[in-house]
Amino acid sequence: MQLGTRKLLDRAFTALGFGSIAMMGLMLLVVLVPIVGNGIGAIVFRGTVEHRRMLYNEFHRGDAGRLKLELAESDAARSEVYGMLDRFEAEMAGMDAVRREEYRPKYEQVQGALRALLGPLPHDEAPALARLKYGQTRWDKAEERLHDLLFEKVWDYSNPDEMAKSYEVSRSAAFKGTSLVKLFPYVENNIDRLLQPRWTLYWGFITDSSIDAHFFGGVWPEIQGTLFLALGAMLFAFPLGVIAAVYFTEYARDGFLTSLLRSANSTLAGVPSIVFGLFGLTFFINTLKVSESKSVLAGSLTLALMILPTIIRSAEEAILAVPKTYKEASLGLGATKWHTIITVILPAALPGILTGGVISLGRAAGETAPIIFTAAVSVGSDIGLADVFSSPTQALSWNIYNLASEHEAAAEIRHVQYGMVLALISIVMLLNMTAIILRARISKKLKG
Amino acid sequence: MNGEAQATEGRSPAFVVSPLRRSLQKATKTAGHSLLFLVAAFVAVIVLFIFFFVARDAVPFFQIKGFSEFFTDTRWYPADDPPVFGALAIIYGSLMVTAGSAVIAIPMGISAAICLSDVLPFSVRQYVKPVIEMLAAVPSVAFGFFALVIFAPMLQNYGGTLLMWAWWLIASPLLLLASLVLSEIAAARFPDEKRRKLMQRSLLALFGTASLGLLFVIGRNLQAIEIVTGTNALNVSIILGFMALPTIVSVAEDALQAVGRDMREGSYALGATRAETIVKIILPAASSGILAGVILGIMRALGETMVVWMASGNSSHIPDPWFNYLDSIRTLTATIAGDMGEADQVTGSARFHVLFAMGLLLLVISFISNFISERIVVRQRKVLSGQ
Repeated sequence: MQLGTRKLLDRAFTALGFGSIAMMGLMLLVVLVPIVGNGIGAIVFRGTVEHRRMLYNEFHRGDAGRLKLELAESDAARSEVYGMLDRFEAEMAGMDAVRREEYRPKYEQVQGALRALLGPLPHDEAPALARLKYGQTRWDKAEERLHDLLFEKVWDYSNPDEMAKSYEVSRSAAFKGTSLVKLFPYVENNIDRLLQPRWTLYWGFITDSSIDAHFFGGVWPEIQGTLFLALGAMLFAFPLGVIAAVYFTEYARDGFLTSLLRSANSTLAGVPSIVFGLFGLTFFINTLKVSESKSVLAGSLTLALMILPTIIRSAEEAILAVPKTYKEASLGLGATKWHTIITVILPAALPGILTGGVISLGRAAGETAPIIFTAAVSVGSDIGLADVFSSPTQALSWNIYNLASEHEAAAEIRHVQYGMVLALISIVMLLNMTAIILRARISKKLKG
Repeated sequence: MNGEAQATEGRSPAFVVSPLRRSLQKATKTAGHSLLFLVAAFVAVIVLFIFFFVARDAVPFFQIKGFSEFFTDTRWYPADDPPVFGALAIIYGSLMVTAGSAVIAIPMGISAAICLSDVLPFSVRQYVKPVIEMLAAVPSVAFGFFALVIFAPMLQNYGGTLLMWAWWLIASPLLLLASLVLSEIAAARFPDEKRRKLMQRSLLALFGTASLGLLFVIGRNLQAIEIVTGTNALNVSIILGFMALPTIVSVAEDALQAVGRDMREGSYALGATRAETIVKIILPAASSGILAGVILGIMRALGETMVVWMASGNSSHIPDPWFNYLDSIRTLTATIAGDMGEADQVTGSARFHVLFAMGLLLLVISFISNFISERIVVRQRKVLSGQ
């Protein structure tokens, strides 16, 4: 081949490498940016007066006097709307039966859309579910609901060969000639007065419990459960892992037994996470009966087994990275081997060991599969530290799955799901950043 | 020791240890040593326990149902009466997404590892490595959420266009390079330089037009594809591929680093370019280590639960045709996770035990591939250290 072509191929080869790395960075961005962007939306958003009413009623938070004023203004605007409804109902009562039956389903749709926007109508019975007690608490959702009120989605099935197409029809056209026709422009023009959107910083998303299957409130029980599980796993795995690492680095002689133990370690590292879940179910819960059914304890034990190989490996590396001279100096001064390990090697290796520990903690916090059968529930009461031996818990990772895939109104509470993913990713990434910074410091120190 | 102790006796009595205390010390030392060993052996015990307990709950299924239905039937109707536990489609689904993720992860992983070990200067590498670590640290459920909530609707709405762009992005540089190289190789037969150049240019024009045509025709066809559901094997394969990348990159990079400088320098001295050095010298020398990394990475894709559970569609059938990645599938891990809630744990029905049978299958596959990759690494280390 000519030199030029060879050089070109060389460049292309380099570009391929850069491209691959760029793709990884891009993937990280593509995953993180929408999650962070939308996740922040769970905490900072334009809350309507309904949000403040909900906070005051359910959590007893907020400025009562100001809320009263806002509600008074909102009610003044609403009474107009409700008056139009009453007038139209009276008008309907006076119509002949055929026309009335024609209007009834359309009118019910309007009522439904108004309920979704503003909460229960004046003549409604008090609803049992919290989600029905309030109108839209978020302005972005309220705008969608307003659109639903103004326009009706109609499906066009006329062409049997193609998928049905949808188009939108203005609802006010359906009520032409009746008194209700004035309602639509009124709501559209006065939506600010009706709902009074205001930028809200809702820290309660992190510190509150959830209400009515995460329609309102926050994710504190999940965060707490995640912390319980991860810290519990560390409690078991960290001491065991460090001790095993000390054995492997300082005591084990090269031989069949040691290599067997080492391959056991890497086998454990390769076991699929869902199999850990199966093992936790059949061993910790069904055989050892550490708890009656799912519990934080069983979940922590299962997670501990999963992160044990990582801790052993990183602790081993950290211990091996301690310069030999430290050890020799200590032994030369007459310290015993055990004394040397405790007072010289482990303190010197501690930052490295902690780095591995922190990364494992993040992994334990983020993992879902092992806790599905051993610890996680989708709804439950907030548990305290005393309950960890007997009760299951909510956990961020599990509830993200649950809300996104199994929740009855998954599309309605996307902001909560994003917020949860952001909370989980923040915990994990914070831990990993700590580890990365810690490691950079160590390598600087070791270089001198 | 004893002699030394006696020799120093006169000068510093502090070093003298009574026989009783000495034996006590020895006993503590042995006890401590064995305690350490026990803790280290704990891991091995756990591995044995995992195999034993998962197998213990898997065996009843095979006792009730035998092997043939599980491995050969594609019908998965665990709730019917009588139930049918054909896992073939599910096993196939697992293999399909694993293969798909391998196709994405292996070339990218290896080229990224090469770039890290041979191309990037140390100062840049320091900033790239954390990116890879962060990618490895993103919890699987977050990837699953991304796949389900963001990626799946995107595929469903703009699937054809996305496929077309991906094809253009990947294929156009490759085709361009291929036509360059091909035209040169084909023209090399002519000894006369003038004719050779002419020939090469005309061939390049020919190949270039052909590949442009290919680009547009296939791109047009891809754009015409309508993806019916975004939760399909393609979606999951892409996400799993990226999840497997960090493992492949880090293990492959270690293997590439283990090939010494002398080999590289020898090759450069003979006039080879960097690409030639890497492809012809370094990659063959590091191939076994890279293979080990690839196996570990792929195992991560096979054992991954949350992404496939959330975004694969969970429909238990073999896609039609069998390579249709735009169809929904179901995997072993997702079946275990999803069906456990309905399986009756108390009475120990076949429905409960079949999930353990699946777990055992996964466990055995992961054990074998781990064993192989470990052997490979050990052998490479021996070869490279010249033993």
